[in-house]
Amino acid sequence: MGEARINGKPVSLAAAAERAAEILSQARMPVIAGLGTDAAGARASILLAEKLRGAYDHMHSTRIFADLDVMRQAGLMVTTPNEARLRADVFLFIGKDLTKDWPAMMERLSPAKIPPFDLVHEPRKLLWIAPGRGGAKGEGLVETLDSSDLHATLASLRARAAGRAVNCAKGTLRKLDEFAGVLKNARFGVAVWGGDGLDSLSIEMLHGLIRDLNKTTRFSGLPLGAGANASGVVQTSGWMTGFPVRTSFGRGFPEHDTWRFDATRMIESGEADTALWISAYGPEAPPWRKNIPLVALASPQTVFAWEPQVCVEIGCPGIDHDGAEFARETGSIVGSLASHRSQAPSVADVVSQISKHLGETPKC
Amino acid sequence: MLIHLKGGHIVDPVNGRDETGDLWIENDRIVAAPPGKLADEVHDVSGKTVMAGAIDIHSHIAGGNVNCARLLLPEKHQNWLPNPVALPFSTAKWSTFETGTIYASMGFTTVIEPAIVPHQALQAHLELSDIPIIDKGMLTVLGNDDFLLSLLRDGEGPAAVADYVASAVAASNGLGVKCINAGGATAFKYNARTFSLDDVVPFYDLTSRQIVEALQRAVEDLKIPHPLHLHANNLGIPGNVATALATIEAARGERLHFAHLQFYSYGAEGGHGFSSAAAELAAAVNAAPNVTIDVGQVMFRQTVTVSADVLRQFNGSEMASPKKSVIHDGDGDGGGIVPYFYRENDFANAVQWACGLELFMLIDDPWRIFFTTDHPNGAPFTTYPEIFALIMSRDARAEATARLPQEAVAMTTLPSIAREYNLNEIAIMTRAAPAKLLGLKDRGHLGEGGLADIAVYSPGKDLAKMFRFAHLVFKDGDLVVRDGRGTHYRWGNALKVNPGYDKAIDRRLAGYYDHHFGNSRDLFTVKEHLLPRADAFREVACAR
Ligand SMILES: [Zn+2]
Repeated sequence: MGEARINGKPVSLAAAAERAAEILSQARMPVIAGLGTDAAGARASILLAEKLRGAYDHMHSTRIFADLDVMRQAGLMVTTPNEARLRADVFLFIGKDLTKDWPAMMERLSPAKIPPFDLVHEPRKLLWIAPGRGGAKGEGLVETLDSSDLHATLASLRARAAGRAVNCAKGTLRKLDEFAGVLKNARFGVAVWGGDGLDSLSIEMLHGLIRDLNKTTRFSGLPLGAGANASGVVQTSGWMTGFPVRTSFGRGFPEHDTWRFDATRMIESGEADTALWISAYGPEAPPWRKNIPLVALASPQTVFAWEPQVCVEIGCPGIDHDGAEFARETGSIVGSLASHRSQAPSVADVVSQISKHLGETPKC
Repeated sequence: MLIHLKGGHIVDPVNGRDETGDLWIENDRIVAAPPGKLADEVHDVSGKTVMAGAIDIHSHIAGGNVNCARLLLPEKHQNWLPNPVALPFSTAKWSTFETGTIYASMGFTTVIEPAIVPHQALQAHLELSDIPIIDKGMLTVLGNDDFLLSLLRDGEGPAAVADYVASAVAASNGLGVKCINAGGATAFKYNARTFSLDDVVPFYDLTSRQIVEALQRAVEDLKIPHPLHLHANNLGIPGNVATALATIEAARGERLHFAHLQFYSYGAEGGHGFSSAAAELAAAVNAAPNVTIDVGQVMFRQTVTVSADVLRQFNGSEMASPKKSVIHDGDGDGGGIVPYFYRENDFANAVQWACGLELFMLIDDPWRIFFTTDHPNGAPFTTYPEIFALIMSRDARAEATARLPQEAVAMTTLPSIAREYNLNEIAIMTRAAPAKLLGLKDRGHLGEGGLADIAVYSPGKDLAKMFRFAHLVFKDGDLVVRDGRGTHYRWGNALKVNPGYDKAIDRRLAGYYDHHFGNSRDLFTVKEHLLPRADAFREVACAR
């Protein structure tokens, strides 16, 4: 457990940390990528990025910014899994990956149960747009609407809910109107979305639909977000720097830009010349296709395209050690206690050790 | 370490000092002049003003809603200044690090985040942990949570309510209890669009008034030093002074802290249907010695409103500037983040600005009025120095008032007010009284044995400058600010209470969480070892 290697050869953790510090300090522009870690790991990594004047990014940024860009453009209306579970009289599921993304979703939201906080005691109405294969099976009566273009479908649905005309086949129109009717008659409806199929344009359209529905009734959203504590890392980055991930300290203060500080782009373009890859939740390997000096804090059994110069096997928050992380189950940062406590070091431990070799700094 | 502050103007209302004199610090405490001992460090502070460190009782500096506001508005806090090496992140605008550094540089040494729901408490404490230099604390928000409303609906009585409140405060490590538009967030989930003191929360058959009374009583029964901190109904609505007056009345002579009163001081007179009723409201506060208030002063600039009053924020989101907002139907209370620009030439904004100043000027007792902007709702806390100037100088007010639409000024009594706060009153309002209100016996004064939280200012004609750049600031006896600039970080505590209660309620809550939410209540408990530093907390005794 918790092995460390330099160029593939086993070494002590201390030696690995020292060598990692050396490699990172020699970089012209280091980037911390992956960032699959708990709040303490994210915090330590962002402190390190500041010290190195590097940039940092998360492995799931594409999904993070699908939602976050909509929020920053137009806003959002959202609720929690608890409220959805206890109150929603209508669920509008969108996308084919929901249960793949969050296997416990149906158990958690229990759509087949009557919502105890609803004033009317009756089964929920369940709608699913673009369920794909299997998504909508076995959970009460689900009305489905197939879609090959989610943005177009959501635009049409929004138009019909607002009583505007749309140009489409009769059968589709009937279905759209049926859906629109259910949404407008919801008492507290919840739209659940996630997965790779939804881009910012579609989410913004959905947000528009939710805002429209709230003119007369209550409706909110439940974005499933991304894994590897993406939301927790974004929150930590938010309070530490004011910005989410894809932020750089190159000029001595945090600057945020989703294009400029995309880790993979920086590496492949040559702007970043050294990487620290962090993945504590699973054996994810760096996605870039360029062999640059690499320090990896990774789950055991990670398969790398190139052996990292330094690799430290780290524990998983909530399994090997306690950690604060964003839980999809609650929609908030919670304490996750170790289920199988082990000696494997945490990301925060290792990053702090690396950081100690980079000279005296103010205690943070 | 023995430090001698020599020959300053000591302003310490608790000990009746308003005179030239000395102050001695040994380690983290203020001590009597030690006969025959030489100080390790002497600061000649002749001509300077020496006060205890200031305490802000209501400033939204942490938690999910505040952080959401940061993420919502990246374009409003672009950076340009590298930080000093000793103060990492301190120039990162709106970061926790900047928050602590700026507060300290203004002479503030304790700041309370007033609105954290139990399910967001861990994140809030993680954020508070990253606010350097100052001590912090947070109030636990209750009053829209199903467990409480169900207890009340089922008539379970004050003991059960007190046990639950105590358990929620303990699990979230709060310093007190806040209630935000009691029942309003829940009513909004049932599609209510307005909600007042005697409106009934659907599903629970309870009025807002009943919820407030129950929480007020629980706080008293638990001997929590800080009285119930209330964000009342109908915030920001023309004519809402009626609600404010009724709410003061509803306190029935019991202790109540009425938050950001400015936002409730509106009449509906005049051509715009919007006027100041601050004078009438101030009179009601003066006549109710059980009530304390903080102002929630508005200042003219871009800001963002961050509030768990989700009903109000939803209604206000039409006015968002820039045009985007986040509305969050949370567990119990939720939140709304709505950016807003207060404009000097806007009739309503001008009336709001004047209302706040009228409250400052017309509420007589500086022990019962607290200095806030409801940061960032009325204005960012960085405007405090300008507000000190406005309340200490009639001329400064006249000058600022002259720039406003005069039809707005005519709807207020501001031009007729001559009062000017003196330093002693400032020290009461921002030091002595907040310490008393929160039960913090170790601060807010300069007496022997007190914490050496000390702010030294350079008085001058420019009052705003005096309060923006403290000459020296000591936190726990450590010199952390020189000439308005932080010198280094130290890490303060989060202050909390730990009221005693019958632990049977915890077992009941565990069952409730398992059954209702389908997850463990323990997930939400703030455990000290999950925070970045040991000794994160300092307990404040529950006794009155
Ligand atoms: Zn507030």
